[in-house]
Amino acid sequence: MAVKFFGQFLVEKGIVSREALLKAIELQETVNLKFGETALAMELISEADVERVHKAQWSADLQFGDMAVQLGIINETQMHQVLTRQKNSHLYLGEALIQVGALERESLDGYLQEFKVDQSPYVTDKTDIPPGVINQEMWGMLADLTYKMLGRIANLTVRPGQCQLVNHLAPNCLIAAIEITGQLNARYLLSVSAGAREAIARAMLSQESLEGEPQELLDDTIAEFINVVCGNFSAKAAQLGKTVEIEPPQLIQPDAGNVNSATGQKGLLFPFHLADGELIEAAIFINA
Amino acid sequence: MKKVLIVDDSLAVARQLMKIISAGGEFEPVGHAKNGSEAIKMNLELHPDIICMDMNMPGMDGLTALRSLMALDHKVKVVMITSLGGVGDKFTEALKLGAQNVISKPFEPENVLRVLRALQPA
Repeated sequence: MAVKFFGQFLVEKGIVSREALLKAIELQETVNLKFGETALAMELISEADVERVHKAQWSADLQFGDMAVQLGIINETQMHQVLTRQKNSHLYLGEALIQVGALERESLDGYLQEFKVDQSPYVTDKTDIPPGVINQEMWGMLADLTYKMLGRIANLTVRPGQCQLVNHLAPNCLIAAIEITGQLNARYLLSVSAGAREAIARAMLSQESLEGEPQELLDDTIAEFINVVCGNFSAKAAQLGKTVEIEPPQLIQPDAGNVNSATGQKGLLFPFHLADGELIEAAIFINA
Repeated sequence: MKKVLIVDDSLAVARQLMKIISAGGEFEPVGHAKNGSEAIKMNLELHPDIICMDMNMPGMDGLTALRSLMALDHKVKVVMITSLGGVGDKFTEALKLGAQNVISKPFEPENVLRVLRALQPA
């Protein structure tokens, strides 16, 4: 199981072929117009306006409609008219698959239900984040995914502690880090005690004993664990309208000392306590 | 036995996949490449039937390597591996470039084997 989109679920399960999915996506691309294209079709803006909005978007992180309003090209009412037209004419993937003959209409609801069940373990809960942090719900979701993945992938029962504002992450047996870039920018770090690292490695490798296994392999399981957490975060963020990229994970050994947040970054710390006194801490250093 | 080349910078993932693939009885892992350029080289040397390749790797990433592999060898079946499952545009790009399917991480062993079994010979 993993966070995925409906089309991937159907192809992975062998319900539709890759060719049929590509055909349905192609159909969606012709029907589902972007905001600017819809506004053009409604004759609310000109090609020159589209160009102007795109250029303005280079220097400010605003959606097309919001930017067009800010530039005085359209007013709020017109923006809502465009959004309503987009919403009403949107062709969903299930419908597109029916239209290209890849799915029977009668079976769609059943597959949507199966998909919902498949994704239900990844429905995230709200995590309390101190006030004044931008994109709170996104970082809360990342912390909650960490907690859920510790249970699902690493088979660990952990008790989450309260989120704190910090400017560093203290060294432990190992720290793994990933850079998150795009519409959300942060450094995600996971610090693990020796026992926690072994527990994660045993679960990730499906092995009772780690005797004789090189430290590199054990460390790599932590890197892979955060890779999966951040990858699934990226997938969830995309579903919520934020495009983010993740870099390959890096490992930081304890002799490097504290890992400090950079100037201008806000640090959040999420402790996860294990029953036997072992500790896992996730930190997110958010770029302002 | 179909020969499978695993391409992933993570030793842990390679280990997981080797176990899953070997347990199926129909597939034989023949090598492990740690990035896209190693994959291209090992594809020429080992002539695998299937390549299971991570999308996100340091050095040459999976999508760049997929493009090269498809240009060099149309016969090999490539299945991409990703933890970025919900990111539809990457998934679609992989299929458009010629990947046969995409497997999500964390792995479900049954799902991995079902995807590999469903691959048709060229």
